[in-house]
Amino acid sequence: MTATTTAITTSPPRFVRADGPDKVTGSGRYTADLSLTGVLAAKFRYANIGHARIVRLDVTAARAMPGVFAVLTADDVPDVRFGPFVQDRTLFARDVVRFEGEIVAAVAAVNAVVAQRAVDAIVVEYEPLPVINDIEAALSVESALVHPDWQSYGAADALVRDRNDASFASITKGDVGAGMAAADHIIESRYVADGCHAVPIEPRAVVAQWEGNKVTIWTTTQVPFDARAGVCETLQLPTNRVRIIVPHLGGGFGGKCGFHYEAHIAALARVAKRPVRLVFTRREEFIAPDRRRESIVFNIETGVLDDGTITARRAWLAMDNGAYTADAAFFSQLAAMHTAGPYRIPNVQVEAHLVYTNHQPSGSVRAPTAPQACWALESHTDEVAAAVGIDPVEFRRRNAVDTGAVGPSGQTYGEIGLQQCIDLAAGGAGYGQPLPDDEAIGVAIGWWPSFSVPSGAYIKIDGDGAGQIITGAQECGTGSVMTLRDLAADELGMKPEDFELVYQDTAVAPYDMGATGSQTLLNNGRAVIAAAGQVAEQLKKLAADHLEAAEADIVLADGHAYVAGTPATTVSLVELAGIAAGGQLLIGHGSSTPAEAPPLAGSSCVGDLGMAAFVAPQFSCHAVRVKLDRDTGVARVLHVSAAHDSGIIINPIGAHGQVEGAVMMGIGQALSEGTTYDDQARQRNAALLEYKLQTCADAPPILVQFVEIFTPDAGPRGAKGLAEAPNIATAAAISNALAKLIGRPVRQLPMTAERVWNTIQGDAS
Amino acid sequence: MSFVIATTIAEAVAAMASGARPIAGGTDLVVGARHGKAALPQHLVAIDRIEALLVVHDTADGVTIGSGVSHSVLESHPLLASAYSGLADASALVGSPSTRNLGTIGGNIMNASPAMDTGAPLLVLGAQVELQSMRGSRRVPLSELWTGPGRTSAAPDELCVMVHIPTPLVRSGSAYLRLEYRRAMEIAVVGAAACVVLDEDGFVVSASVALTAVAPTIIMVDGLHSLAGANVPEAAVRVGVLAAGQATPISDVRASAQYRRHTVGVMARRAVEAAARRAAGDIVAIPLNRAIGIGAAS
Repeated sequence: MTATTTAITTSPPRFVRADGPDKVTGSGRYTADLSLTGVLAAKFRYANIGHARIVRLDVTAARAMPGVFAVLTADDVPDVRFGPFVQDRTLFARDVVRFEGEIVAAVAAVNAVVAQRAVDAIVVEYEPLPVINDIEAALSVESALVHPDWQSYGAADALVRDRNDASFASITKGDVGAGMAAADHIIESRYVADGCHAVPIEPRAVVAQWEGNKVTIWTTTQVPFDARAGVCETLQLPTNRVRIIVPHLGGGFGGKCGFHYEAHIAALARVAKRPVRLVFTRREEFIAPDRRRESIVFNIETGVLDDGTITARRAWLAMDNGAYTADAAFFSQLAAMHTAGPYRIPNVQVEAHLVYTNHQPSGSVRAPTAPQACWALESHTDEVAAAVGIDPVEFRRRNAVDTGAVGPSGQTYGEIGLQQCIDLAAGGAGYGQPLPDDEAIGVAIGWWPSFSVPSGAYIKIDGDGAGQIITGAQECGTGSVMTLRDLAADELGMKPEDFELVYQDTAVAPYDMGATGSQTLLNNGRAVIAAAGQVAEQLKKLAADHLEAAEADIVLADGHAYVAGTPATTVSLVELAGIAAGGQLLIGHGSSTPAEAPPLAGSSCVGDLGMAAFVAPQFSCHAVRVKLDRDTGVARVLHVSAAHDSGIIINPIGAHGQVEGAVMMGIGQALSEGTTYDDQARQRNAALLEYKLQTCADAPPILVQFVEIFTPDAGPRGAKGLAEAPNIATAAAISNALAKLIGRPVRQLPMTAERVWNTIQGDAS
Repeated sequence: MSFVIATTIAEAVAAMASGARPIAGGTDLVVGARHGKAALPQHLVAIDRIEALLVVHDTADGVTIGSGVSHSVLESHPLLASAYSGLADASALVGSPSTRNLGTIGGNIMNASPAMDTGAPLLVLGAQVELQSMRGSRRVPLSELWTGPGRTSAAPDELCVMVHIPTPLVRSGSAYLRLEYRRAMEIAVVGAAACVVLDEDGFVVSASVALTAVAPTIIMVDGLHSLAGANVPEAAVRVGVLAAGQATPISDVRASAQYRRHTVGVMARRAVEAAARRAAGDIVAIPLNRAIGIGAAS
C-alpha cells in the first residue's frame, strides 16, 4: 500500500469538458428550450393548504374553456400508489391533501396563460384537517396521523414503521450504559437543523410526446432510469414504450433525483393528443418536488474520560419526512451513522426516526442528512473537547478513526486518510496562529459512503476512427460523465476529443442509477473501462494480423497500434477502424460489478437499509476562518481549508470544482439557507430574494487539498466519490468557529445573523 | 394595453396625462409583475430614452440628477462619490450589476419602498424631487414625498424628472450602510444614512440621520439638534439609541422587529461615525458596507 499525500494548491491541469462550449456559448439546448409542433403548456393546481379533506373537486368549467385540451385529476389516471420504499403516494391527490405543493389537478392548454386560467377555474373545496408541523409532537401517541391508513401501504420489508414514524433505525454497539457509567464527564447537547433546498438554477421542465403507444419524455432529471420506472409504474407501461431523454441539465444537487411530473405530463399529452410542456416557476421549484433537505432534531450525549477518550455515545434524532416518503426512508440509518460519526467509540446507541408531517416531502439533496448531522455532532464534539480541556483538533486526532480502526457500526477500515485530512486542513488554515479577537478557526470532520451499484456503457468506433461512448450515466454538472472520455481514451491510446458522448437517453444506453450518490465515475467509469477494454482487444487482434505480430505484443498509444519494442512497426487506429468496418465491427460493452458491503462486527442495526457499512468510505476535514460582527451577529467566512480523502483523483480540475461548489453550498447552509413555515405548514420564503443563497461576491478563498490513497473496492484507478463529501463539514466548521467567538454554540441551523446575535445575548434557543 | 416610447419629457407627461405609467429600468415594475405582486399596468410609457433625464449637473447650489440616471452611474460618478458619498454608498449596493445598470434613481424614489437604499441618503442630504405634468412642475422635498409603502404624494400624472441635492456644507460628510445577509442580490434588512457637519475642532455642528426598513417609509431620526457640540463617538452612540427608540419595525421572514430595532441602532451609530470621518477629510471607500464590513468583513 502506498499512501501519497498530494497537496494540490496550484492550477489543476487543463481539462476541456465535452459539454463546455455548448453551455458557455448558449448553443446547448435545455428542456425548456424544446419546441415541438402543436406543443401545449401544462399547469398544476396545487393544494395550497397544509392538510385538508377534499369535499368537492369540479373541473367542468376548466374543461369547457376554449383552448383547454386536457384537465386531469386522480380519476383520470390508474389508481396506483407509488414510492421507492413506502407506497404512500399517488400522482394526484385522492380525497386528502397532505402538503401545500400536492397536485390536485393538471391542465394542458394552448399557452401558459390559458392553462393558468383553467387551473384557477377548477373548483376545490376543503375541510381543514389538523396540521402536523412539529416533528417531535408528531411522534407522540396523541398526534393526529398524516396517513391514517399507513399500515395498509406496501413498504420495503426492512422498514420499521409506526404511525407517523415512517422509518425507524438504530445502531447499537457495546453497552452504552456501562460506557456512560465509566465516563468522567457526560456532555449532553440539543441541536435543531432547519430544512433547506437544493435550488438548481434551472427550474424543472418536462416535455412529453406520444407516437402511437410509445411516449418520449424530455425531462430535467438527474436519474433518467428512475424517472422511466416511475412513469412505467404509475401509467402501467412496459419500459420499452417509455423513452426518457435529458437535454443539458442546469444543475441538480440531488433536487432533480427521483421521479417527478414525467407521468403527469405524459398523461396530459395522451389525453390532449398533442405534445405538452411543463416549465416550473421558481416558486413551484421551492414548494412542489419531494426533494428538500430534511430538518432534524438532535439530542446527543457523549461520555468521555479526563484524558479525552470517548467511552460512549447515545443519540436520538427525529427527521422531517414531510407528507410522503420519497427516497428518505434510508435517511434514518444514514443520519444515525453521521450522528455516531467517524470516531472510535466502543459503546454506541443511536436511534433515528423519520417522521411524517404536513411539510413538503424530504428527499436526497447532496449528501442527505450529513451536513446537518455533521453540524450537530461536530458542534457537540467541540463541547466535549472543551469539557476535558483538550484542543478540538487534538481531540479529533485522538478519537477519529484511522487505518485499521473500528468505526461506530463495527466496520474495520482499510487504508484511509482521515488523520492526514485533519493535519492538512488545519495546517492549510494556519490553525493555532494568533488571530484578531473577532476571528476564529473552526474545524470539523466528515465522512460519506461510496455507492457501489450496477452500471453499463457501450463503446463503438466507426470506420473513420471516430468513437462514441454510449452510456446510461447522467451529467448533472459535476463533469463526471465528461471524464469518461479520458478513461476510454487512455484504454485505447486515443485522445478524449476522439470520442463523442451519447448519453441521457434510456432508449439507447444501458442502465445507470444516474447522477446521484456520487456514483457516476465510481461505477460507470468502471463500465466504460470494461467496454473500452473489449474494443482494445479487438484492435489488438486486428493489429496483430496486420503487423504479423503476436496479439500480446501490441501496444495502443497515440492513435496507433505498434509492436512492443519496435515502435516503427505500426498501424494507425484509423486504418484498423476502416478494416473493422468491412468485417467485425468495433463494439464493446461494459458493466461494473458492485463491490460487496464490508462486514460489520459487534453491532446490531434495526431498520437496516444497508447504510451502516460504508463501501470505500470518503473522509474530509474542513477548517474555516470566520469573522464575527458581534454588534449584529453577522458572520463572514474569510477562508476555507478543505482536505479530502476521496481516493485517487482522476480529474483534478473537476475535483477542485466539486469541493469549491460544495463549500459554497455549505456556507449557505451554515449561515443563510433555511426554509421557514407558517402555522399552516406553508413555506414563508419560497423565493430567491427571501431564501438566501450565497453569491459569487460572498465566496472566500478556498484551499483544496487531497489525500490520495489507492482504494481497492472503489471506482476506476482506486477513485472514490467526491460530489457529496465536500458538502458535509463546512457548516460544522463554521459553527465551531462561531462558538469560539461567542463562547457557546449556536444551536439552530442555519446560524443566521439574528440567531447568532440571540446567542450572543444569551438566548440559546 | 399600450406601450409608448417617449423621447422627450413632453411626450412622457402627455402619455401619463392619458393614464400611462412610466417605466425606465423596470427593475421594480417588471420583477413585481413576475412575482405576482402587481400586474403590469395596462398603459406604459418608456422614459429610458429621454436624454434630458440622463444628466448629472453640477450647479451653483448643488447637484441636479436626472431621474433616469442609473445606479451604476451614481456609484461611480466622481462628484457624487466625493461630495454626496452617502448616495454613492447606497447606489453601489442595489441588487446586482445588471440591476444597477438598468435601475434608476427616479424609479427607486417613486417606487417608495421603505427598504430602498437611495432613500435614506437622499433624505439626509436634503434632496428634493421635481415633478412634472401637463399642468406644470413643482418641487417636493423628499420628506413630504413618501406617504407609505409604495405610496407618494405625487399625482398619477406627475413624472419625477429631476432630483436636486443642495451643496453640502463645509466640513460635512455623508454615509449610508445597511445590514445585509449577503454581498449581492440583497435588500436592506435595515439601513441608516447620516450627514454630519463638524466644526474646526472636530466637534459636531449638526447631524441628520435617516433610517431604512424600520417604518412604513424611510424616516428621519428626530431630536438630533441636541448633538451640537458633542464629540463624534458620543454623538454616534446617542444617535444609535435614538434610532433604535424611534424605529417601528415589523417582524417578517427577514428579521424580527426586536432584531431590526437593535441593528438599526448599530447601523445609525456606524453611519454617523463614517460620515464624521468623511467630514474630517478621511477617505472611506465606497460602498461603506465593504469598507467596514457589514455582512462583508474584508
